[in-house]
Amino acid sequence: MLSFFMVIAKWLQSTWWALDISGSTWAYPFVQATHFTGLSLWIGTNLSLDLRLMGVGRKHRTAAELSVATFWWNWLGLLIAITGGFMLFSSAATKYIPNPAFEIKLGIFVPLGIIVHIVNQQMAKSWGATPDTPAIAKFMGLVELLIWFAVITCAVSIPNFDTH
Amino acid sequence: MLHFCQWLEKNSWIIALDSNVPLSLFFEIMHYSGFFLVVGTTVVMDLRVLGLAGVKESPSAIAEQLVPWMWTGLAMATLSGFFMFAADAADFYLAYTFRVKILIVVLAAILGAVVQRRTSRSSEALSVSAGAKVVAFISLILWIGAILASVEVPAISGVG
Repeated sequence: MLSFFMVIAKWLQSTWWALDISGSTWAYPFVQATHFTGLSLWIGTNLSLDLRLMGVGRKHRTAAELSVATFWWNWLGLLIAITGGFMLFSSAATKYIPNPAFEIKLGIFVPLGIIVHIVNQQMAKSWGATPDTPAIAKFMGLVELLIWFAVITCAVSIPNFDTH
Repeated sequence: MLHFCQWLEKNSWIIALDSNVPLSLFFEIMHYSGFFLVVGTTVVMDLRVLGLAGVKESPSAIAEQLVPWMWTGLAMATLSGFFMFAADAADFYLAYTFRVKILIVVLAAILGAVVQRRTSRSSEALSVSAGAKVVAFISLILWIGAILASVEVPAISGVG
């Protein structure tokens, strides 16, 4: 299975965009900045909704209102983060594939985080209809918050497992 | 200032904190989480003032929900960032990209506070003044600039 992914990784690394990114001093930081801009929108809006579901902070407005107000920019953030992330991955794919921190981040926590976020965003309409959220909303908000912290932990640990 | 930075990185507390791997990882996680929180919430607030996000809600309603997390994120990023800076204080101080980053972040935080003040004054009104929109637009550009400056620090200066 790993060798199959390595074949794809080698092909990705030889594409024109991957060669342009890895061969330029300026391109890599710009793509990284794009990835971080998307992550800021995605993680920033996710954490604020999770904290609101948990009942932390001001309670004059509801979680349902916050969820609706941030919906489109939240998902646009993920789209930008994935685009930037894919381009960063392409530039050094054979280094990322065998990295355990990268595998755990992308194989477990990111898909899990997206699924829990979809549930929380949908359920925020009923859980967050009133200023006080029910216990299940507080629990799910905490679960999602911890998942995104796990994703960030894996991401910052990637260089520690870099064997190249 | 350079002498202070050199003293800081030789401080026994800073050396002890920097040599503690789990604690260094903790500071890094706090720095990224705080940065994402402050940038994400400020950008959404700026977009609302510009009429590009959550238009059914008043800017003051959006600000009421997001402003506490904006300042929490900034505090998390600043505090953890100080410990990350302290271990290599002299190198960071001498790196011009780092100085540019700090200048942009300070300006962006000031403009964030201005946007916050203007939106809280606008009460429940759905529209905002042209002046507030200009400030929000500059704030948006500055935060994107702060991200770019952040990734340029290690790329150009080799520190961090």
